[in-house]
Amino acid sequence: MNEKVKERLLSVLCAVISIGLFLGFWWWGTQRTQLGKLLPDPGTVFTAMCGYITGTVGKCSLLMHMLSSLRRVLIGFVIGSLAGVSLGLLMGRYALARAVFNPLYRVIRPIPPIAWIPISIIWLGLGEQAKIFLIILAAFANTTLNAMTGARDVDPELINAARMLGAKEGQIFRTIVIPAAVPAIFAGLQVGISSSWASVVAAEMIKAENGLGWIIQAGMDNNNMSQILAGIIMIGVGGFALTCIMRTIEGVMCRWNKSGR
Amino acid sequence: MGDKEKVSVNHLTKKFGDLLVLDDVSFEVMDGDLLCVVGPTGCGKTTFLNSLVNIYRITSGEILLDGRQVDTRKQNIAYIFQGDSTMPWLTVEENVQFGLNLKKVPSGEKKERVEKYLDIVGLTKYRKFYPKQLSASMLQRVSIARAFATEPELLLMDEPYGQLDIELRFKLEDELVRLWEMTKTTVIFITHNIEEAVYLGNKIMVLTNKPTTVKKTIINDLPRPRDIASPKFVELRNQVTDLIRWW
Repeated sequence: MNEKVKERLLSVLCAVISIGLFLGFWWWGTQRTQLGKLLPDPGTVFTAMCGYITGTVGKCSLLMHMLSSLRRVLIGFVIGSLAGVSLGLLMGRYALARAVFNPLYRVIRPIPPIAWIPISIIWLGLGEQAKIFLIILAAFANTTLNAMTGARDVDPELINAARMLGAKEGQIFRTIVIPAAVPAIFAGLQVGISSSWASVVAAEMIKAENGLGWIIQAGMDNNNMSQILAGIIMIGVGGFALTCIMRTIEGVMCRWNKSGR
Repeated sequence: MGDKEKVSVNHLTKKFGDLLVLDDVSFEVMDGDLLCVVGPTGCGKTTFLNSLVNIYRITSGEILLDGRQVDTRKQNIAYIFQGDSTMPWLTVEENVQFGLNLKKVPSGEKKERVEKYLDIVGLTKYRKFYPKQLSASMLQRVSIARAFATEPELLLMDEPYGQLDIELRFKLEDELVRLWEMTKTTVIFITHNIEEAVYLGNKIMVLTNKPTTVKKTIINDLPRPRDIASPKFVELRNQVTDLIRWW
């Protein structure tokens, strides 16, 4: 068995042990302490989740709710990150773009997406557009900064090497700045996707007819703790899955960034 | 070497603020020369080279390549830097191709040239490797292949072997001489290593301390392959050392 397989097995084993211990404490807490009055035990939540997956919560199954949230995230994330990466690359490379856009961006960036909820409702109503607007903002804020840093920190020797080989500014941007910034862009996309996922849940908790945020909100309205926990767990699972997918894409796009043979 | 002037530098002056680095430097490089430029540490050798190709804007003077102002977009110039300048996201093969893509060399010819120069620098076997998977000497060979593949009119090299161990340096020096003899490219090679300058150059230009001027240009007609232990080699090396000596 080679080292990599061993390492992988060890990390899986550690994950199983830590999750197992967490579930064990949860179960013990609900059976032996006052926690039982606040929380159902893991078995009850698991059974409820299975029921929500095979049956319905509200108008559709738990997985369909998750897909509704996912759809919103993907639309908002793609638009927000495309805008963010484009603006970030321009600001990173061109001093004029940085001088024009950076002051405004620095003011907007620290504002959490949920602070935009009232404005988004006033501007766009309670439908899909307002939710997607919040996700666009969440993705935009994080990806812009990283793309800007990546484009600004390109090794000047690479730019000079390309210039010496006859590259024009447009070619330098396309063939040097963009590829060199890819690892930084992916770091921003990772944060952006997590932030988008968090924002969709917040947006759905305000007003929605489906989605994981709606499940939690409806669970609270009905005092159904299992439903709330099922929603929370699916948020965790969805976020984890998105991060894994993003990491896999990064692994393919940045395979050149690994050392050793 | 040719009797045609390839590079003509007239009254080149470069200041950084109030600091005068290059002071009214004038010289010519003939077509097909392998000119080694040596000088005391910190005398401004890299500034000198960067000024030649507009990486630094010159304060005054004129630099002509084939009688025209230097323009890297219009003239075929290649530059090998002191540090690694391979594109880390491109494989060895793609790195060698990089300049050819920029210059829109037809694909058949591009393929031929890539094969030829990968073979010359001994990297055919590593064509699919990324720079992070290569050693320092291999990286420098990629840069050399990338530069020569464009078949430049002028090749500038800024202490390209400064960070390599002696064995690799000797190997790459021989490789450079072989490529230069094959292609007859005009080369300006900056080094602080006097032995390297005497081993490589058919001319050696000695610079002074700052503010830098040209102290002397020496014709080096020692036969190749050169023997670093031969009395004539040692004599020339001592002559250059005496010219550089500031202590």
